[in-house]
Amino acid sequence: MNGQYASLLVALPLISAFFVPLIKGLGGRAIKYYLTLITALQAGVAAWVFKTVYTTGKPIIVMAGGWRPPVGIDLYIGHFAALFVLIVALVSFFMAIFSFDSVSTEPTDKYAMLFLLLMLGATGMIATGDIFNLFVFMEITSITAYALTAYNKTGEAAEAAMKYIVLGGIGSSFFLIGITLIYGSTGTLNMAQLAQLAGSINPTVIKVGLSLLVFGLAVEAELFPLNAWAPDAYQAAPHPVTAMFSAFVVKAGLYALARLVYLFSHAAGWDFILKLLVIMATLTVFAAEFSALRQRDVKRMIAYSSISQVGLIALALSVGSQLGVQAGVFHMINHAVVKTLLFLTVGYVGVKVGGTGIENFSGLGRKMPLTAFALTVGALAAVGIPLFNIFWSKVWIIIASIEQGYAWEAGVVLAASVVEAVYYLRLIHTMWFGGWDGMRIRESLPLGTIALFLVLLILAIGVYPNPFWTLAKSAGTDIFNVSRYIANVPLMGVGP
Amino acid sequence: MVSVLKRSLAIITLLIIGYWLAQGLAGVPFGQDRMLVGKYYLENVKAQTGAVNAVTAIVVNYRGFDTLGEVTVLFIASTGVGALLWRRKKRRTAKTEGSVVLRTGSELLFPFILMFGTYIFIHGHLTPGGGFPGGATIATAFLILYMAFVDYEIPHRLFEPLEGLAGMGYVLVGLIGLAIGSYFLFDWIWQTWHWGAANLGRLFSGGFIPIIYTLIGLKVGTELSGIVDSMLTEEVRE
Repeated sequence: MNGQYASLLVALPLISAFFVPLIKGLGGRAIKYYLTLITALQAGVAAWVFKTVYTTGKPIIVMAGGWRPPVGIDLYIGHFAALFVLIVALVSFFMAIFSFDSVSTEPTDKYAMLFLLLMLGATGMIATGDIFNLFVFMEITSITAYALTAYNKTGEAAEAAMKYIVLGGIGSSFFLIGITLIYGSTGTLNMAQLAQLAGSINPTVIKVGLSLLVFGLAVEAELFPLNAWAPDAYQAAPHPVTAMFSAFVVKAGLYALARLVYLFSHAAGWDFILKLLVIMATLTVFAAEFSALRQRDVKRMIAYSSISQVGLIALALSVGSQLGVQAGVFHMINHAVVKTLLFLTVGYVGVKVGGTGIENFSGLGRKMPLTAFALTVGALAAVGIPLFNIFWSKVWIIIASIEQGYAWEAGVVLAASVVEAVYYLRLIHTMWFGGWDGMRIRESLPLGTIALFLVLLILAIGVYPNPFWTLAKSAGTDIFNVSRYIANVPLMGVGP
Repeated sequence: MVSVLKRSLAIITLLIIGYWLAQGLAGVPFGQDRMLVGKYYLENVKAQTGAVNAVTAIVVNYRGFDTLGEVTVLFIASTGVGALLWRRKKRRTAKTEGSVVLRTGSELLFPFILMFGTYIFIHGHLTPGGGFPGGATIATAFLILYMAFVDYEIPHRLFEPLEGLAGMGYVLVGLIGLAIGSYFLFDWIWQTWHWGAANLGRLFSGGFIPIIYTLIGLKVGTELSGIVDSMLTEEVRE
C-alpha cells in the first residue's frame, strides 16, 4: 500500500469526529460503541504504519496536497512517530472501553468528539514535520484538553480548566512569537530546512526564539514553573481523560520539545537552552515528588508522580547525548504503560467505591482483588524495582547522565525513587493491610483484561528489556540524529 | 507591604522579558529578502492552483493541512462550549424585545447578510476573504435575529448535522484527492481534471478552493451561530 495512506492517521479521527452529530440520536451507549470502533480502526492503521516503518527502516513522508516540503506541509513518520502513534491509538482504544463504566455525565456525543480530537491532536503533534503545523496541532490538543478538563462540570473542574486555559494561552502565545522570530530570520517553516539553516541564524535571535518555543511547549510538557495547572486538571478530568493526559498528551509535548531542541543543535547558544532545560527538569522532579508525599487523594498523588516522571524524561532528553535521548524515549514508553495502568485502576476504584481518597483504598486487596493486584504491580513498577519495566529506563538514564558527566543528575533520579517508594508503599500497605468493610465488588471483565494485559507488558519489559530497549534506541536515534532527519525529507530546492 | 513587593517583582520580571524580547526582535532582519518559499508561491501560484488570490491559494492549497487544523480548532471551541453549557432542556430567557427599528431591520437585512456572507466565501479565490470571514458574516445574521426577537432559536435539527456534514465534506475532498492523486488534500479538480483552466480570474476556477471555502463557510456559520445559541439559552427546570 502507498505510504501516503498514513495520512489516514489524521483523516480518520477527524472525519469520525465530524460524523458524531449525525448519530447523536442513537443514544450514549451507541456512541461509546462507535468511539471504541473508531479507536480500534485507528490502532489498526497505526499498527500498519508501525510495521511499514520498522520493516523498511525508512520513515514515511506524507506530503499534504502533493506539495514537496518546504512549499507544502509534510508529516514525518519516522521510528519515533510510528511507535508513539501506535501507543496513542492503543491507549485511546483502552480508554474508550473504560469510558463505558466511568463517563456518565451528559452530553456523551460531545465527549466522544472531544475524545477523538484529543487523540488526533497528539497524533498530529508527534507526526508533523512543519513547525507551524505543530502549533496548529498543539492548539487542537490543548483546547480539547481544556474542554475535557471541565467536562465533569463541577466547581473544581471549572477552576482547573480555567488555570489550564490561562497557562496554556500564555504558552501558545510564547510559542507563536518564537515561531515568528525564527520564521522572520530564515523564511521557512519546515523543520528539516530549519535544521539546515540553524547555523546561520543570529545567535541572539535563536536564543530568544528557542527559549520562547521551550517555554511555550513546557506548558504541555508539564515542566516547572509552567505545570501548576497539571495536578488540578488531572484530578478534575474524567478518569479516562486523565490517563490519556498522562500517557500521551504530555509525551507529545515532550517529544515536540526534544525534536525542536535537537533540530537546532548546530545553532549558536544551544548549550544555553540545554542548561535551561536541565534546570527546569530538575526543579520539576523535586517540586512534584515532595508534593506527592503530602497528598491524601490517590488520583492526585499519582498525578504528581506522573509529573515527576515527566521531569525525569525531560532530564534524560536534555543530557545532550544519543544515549540520553534513547533512555528518555525508553522511559516515555514505560511511563505510558505504567501510568495508563495506574490511572485506569485508580479511576475504576473511584467509580466503584465512590471516590479516590486514600480511605477508599483501605482493604482493597480483599474488596477488588484483581484491581488491587494490578494497582500494586503498577505502583511497584513506578518506584523502579528490578524485574519491573521502569527499573531499566531509570538505569539507562543514570548511565547516560554519568557518561555525560552529570553525576548529580543520577543522584536526582535515585532521590526521586526513594521518595516515590515512600508514598507508593504507603498506598500498597493501605490496600493490603488496611481495614476491610467486608464488601466484595464484582470487577468488570473487559477492564480486568486490559489491566492484566498492561501488567503482563510491565513484567515482560522488566524481564526481557532487550527488544523494547532496541525499539527505544531506534526511536531515540530518530530524534537525536538530525542529519539523517534532514536527509530523509525530500526538500525542494527553493531559496538562495 | 507584601503586595508592593510582589508587584515590583512582577514589574521587574516583565521588564527583563521585554528587554530580552526586544533584543531578539532587533536581530531579526525584517523587511529584507527572506522569501525562501514566498517567492516560489508568487511565481507559481496561478499555474499550480488556478487561484489569482495568492493568499487563499497558500491557505487552502499549499498549506491546506493547517487550514483543516484551524477548522478543527473552531469545531472544538463550539463543541467545548456545547459540552460545558449543556443542559437537558434549554430555552431563551431574554425579557425585552428589540425595538421596532431592530426587528424590522433585522428581518429586512437577514437575507442580504446571508447573501453577502455567501458571496465572500464563494469568491475566496478571487477577492480578499474566504470561508472564515464569510461564515462569521452569516453568523452575524443569526446573532441579529437573536437580539431582535426574544423567542428566536436557530433550527437545531438542521444546523448541528450540517456542521458535521460540512466538516466531513472537507475531509472527504482530501480523501478523494488521496484516491485520485495519491496525496491527501491533493487538488484533483485543478491538477488532474484541469477544470476551469480557461477561466482564470473568474468564478469557475481555482480548483477545489471554492468547494472547500463553501464547506468552511457553512461550517463556520453554523458553528458560530451554535456558540451564540449555547450562550443565549438557559436551563429550564420541569
